[in-house]
Amino acid sequence: MTELILQALYSGLLQGGSYALIALGLALVFGTMKVINLAHGELVLLAAYVAYAVESGLGLGSGFGPIFAIPIALVVVCIAAVSVYFVVSRIKIDREINSLILTYGIGVILTNLILLVWHADVRSTNSTWLQEAFVVGPFYSMRSELIFFGVSVALMGALWWWLARSWYGRAVRAVSSNRDAAELMGIDPGRTELVSFIVAGVLAAFAGVALFSYGVIQPAYGGALTVKAFIITVLAGVGSIPGVLLGAVLLGVAEALTVTLASSALQELAGMTLFLLVLFVMPNGLFGAARRRG
Amino acid sequence: MSGAINAGIKINKTLVALIVAGYAVVPFALGANNYIMSMIVAALVIGGVALSWALLGNLGGMVSFGHSAFFGVGAYVSALVTVKLGVPVLLALPLGGVGAVLASIVMMPVLRLRGPYFALAILAYAHIFRILATEWSSVTGGSGGVSGIPGFPTVFGFDFGTKMGAYLIALTLVLVFAFAYARIRASYYGIALRAMHDSEDATRVVGVNSTVLKAAMLMVSAFMAGVFGALNAHYINFLEPDYAFNALWVTLPVVAAIFGGYRTISGPVIGALVVYMADQLVFKALMPTGHQLVLGVLLVMMIVFSPSGLMPLLKKWTARHA
Amino acid sequence: MLELENVSVRFGGLTAVNDVSLKIGSHDVIGLVGSNGAGKTTLFNAISGLVRPSTGRIRFDGRDILRAPMYLRARLGIGRTFQVPQPMHELTVRENLLVAQRFGTGRVDHKKIDDILAFTSLADKANRHAATELALTELKALEVAKALATDPQLLLLDEVLAGLETSGKRRFMGMLRELHTRFGVGIVMIEHDIETITALCPRVAVLNFGQLIADGTPDAVFRDPAVIKSYTGADHADT
Repeated sequence: MTELILQALYSGLLQGGSYALIALGLALVFGTMKVINLAHGELVLLAAYVAYAVESGLGLGSGFGPIFAIPIALVVVCIAAVSVYFVVSRIKIDREINSLILTYGIGVILTNLILLVWHADVRSTNSTWLQEAFVVGPFYSMRSELIFFGVSVALMGALWWWLARSWYGRAVRAVSSNRDAAELMGIDPGRTELVSFIVAGVLAAFAGVALFSYGVIQPAYGGALTVKAFIITVLAGVGSIPGVLLGAVLLGVAEALTVTLASSALQELAGMTLFLLVLFVMPNGLFGAARRRG
Repeated sequence: MSGAINAGIKINKTLVALIVAGYAVVPFALGANNYIMSMIVAALVIGGVALSWALLGNLGGMVSFGHSAFFGVGAYVSALVTVKLGVPVLLALPLGGVGAVLASIVMMPVLRLRGPYFALAILAYAHIFRILATEWSSVTGGSGGVSGIPGFPTVFGFDFGTKMGAYLIALTLVLVFAFAYARIRASYYGIALRAMHDSEDATRVVGVNSTVLKAAMLMVSAFMAGVFGALNAHYINFLEPDYAFNALWVTLPVVAAIFGGYRTISGPVIGALVVYMADQLVFKALMPTGHQLVLGVLLVMMIVFSPSGLMPLLKKWTARHA
Repeated sequence: MLELENVSVRFGGLTAVNDVSLKIGSHDVIGLVGSNGAGKTTLFNAISGLVRPSTGRIRFDGRDILRAPMYLRARLGIGRTFQVPQPMHELTVRENLLVAQRFGTGRVDHKKIDDILAFTSLADKANRHAATELALTELKALEVAKALATDPQLLLLDEVLAGLETSGKRRFMGMLRELHTRFGVGIVMIEHDIETITALCPRVAVLNFGQLIADGTPDAVFRDPAVIKSYTGADHADT
């Protein structure tokens, strides 16, 4: 029994890496534009399907299909993300509400595009190399889970450095905390918003390819991904990358435990329970500062 | 001065004419055509949900992407009480509404979240209710769903189990709810609710219990959507989770409401009629799978070019060129 | 009527209100003074329910209102204006008063509304929209009118005169002078101008760094060395 639980903790930890990437992308865009991109999950899913397309294009059993897909996924998702940015930035009035409906609509478009092109069947990778069991101590995982966890951590480290040290990263932080003041200091908020969308796209692309490499995908999954990212931001509270990683791991672990101890069908409920718990008990999130009042 | 608090409805000739047409003309003109009638019924159901969505947005100040939850819960509750407990169908409809209200009570904790967060939280709830309906098979019949749901009974010699019957019930419900919406909007509560969008603290400082008012609007909206879900269940006599909680029950009403002008009361309903017909007659013909794509594109274009709806734009355009 | 007992309000490391005890009766007209950041507005916020004190008790008409939400305090009879006017933007002036009266007292009395509109010189602007069609003087008048519409027993006025030019100021002072007698309401007013306070308030309370350092007649208070020091940093006044 304990081994099962420990195994679930391990799997949840690895899964948390990709979840964190998704949540960070959502948070970045919300920080600069104060807009929640309801289509964000669909962007991640898009990357996953690109990985599928590349893999099936390269032939069955191809070991590295998804890995090769990464550059292509990056391009496709970033183009999509930039398109979303341009549409969203056209909204001038009632931005909060209208952008919600708008990105919801974009999500519907993307979901149905995916449905049209790749049909409703559930897909997952055929790569035996990626799916091969990789044992670390007493813990089992798919090779892909471990690889992409490493990639996620590396990306988060790079993001942290970028936000702290690079000019654009600092601009993103400045616009996120006080847009007008940032503009007065010479920062172009429009361009900064665009940058945040692109970075979110990059993160989403990696998360999507990861998802395809060790999980199953279907066109309707986009919405669930957006919801997961949202739950993680609530868990993490406002404004900390480590918080998001911890929240993501927490979600991953909760889901893994639910699958192990209860049933895989109840997986989504795990996140919801966590979400409600945090809302009731710790409205400021687990790690965050004061949350806005409703 | 007397204009401030009245019945809240502009009883004008157009409205009366439309209502008369709805009850007296349509049944005779189109009643024989089952295909058209079934589309109108479906459109009215969508219109009812669209109305409830617009009410929550306009009065409650909350944008929701989870009305499929209320719709589905209403449908299931009504279906199950008739199938398993033998409750008469016409009583089951409001019970479905009550079920949806209970679902909304579960959502109360998220009322205090700001706009985008609220929308996402409601989206999350919608997912959860769908999963519950699929997994709680002992009660809901699981993914197989509920079949053999009784239709509407015969009342005063008129069989409401027909398409015509469903049409009349749907039309009546839409009118009743529209009337209720108008009354609330014109009341002091409506004025306070309007003020709460931008100045919630200012209302609380003068004695408005804004939390309770918002909660009440959520419950009213849920009730409406739930009743229409229930109506739909007894109309098609079959339910399954993927149908009852389908995202289409969010997308279509939202597109309908925005198309028709979501700030008005008639807008969502008329928008539903137009958009649903277009969806069934045109979009589906063009793209059998993924016809929702066109809905998404329509939604995006409307928000970008005319957020207050296409119909108000049309009215302005025709007024200028008249 | 209102009793504050050892009320402190702490925000993290900052103590905005420090152990304040104050009794306000229904016949009182009290001026609340102190330099900027002394905690005056925070004290108002604690009384009206915008913030919860970290320690202490607040009793209104004998009942403990420490946990009472803001809207309940308004209905019980605590009215409050904001320094930066916070009208209900989407409504007209009259609608502002109607909402305040309907929810603050539970009834609607149109005659009383007209009375208040006349008293605050807003009668001819009753149908203007609060967000877009009012000047600052009118917005400030609306603040007072709104609070009056809730039929308060205690009125908390937060710098009603701030930002007004001379004629507006004069008009408002006349209005403030009459408030107590006309509406039978106890008043606590925050103002900076000592002359105004002395003219309007038979009783003055002084806050300094969150602490109540004086409470008495204007004469006594403004000669108090502690008060003078808090204003000027010096040990005695030059005037």
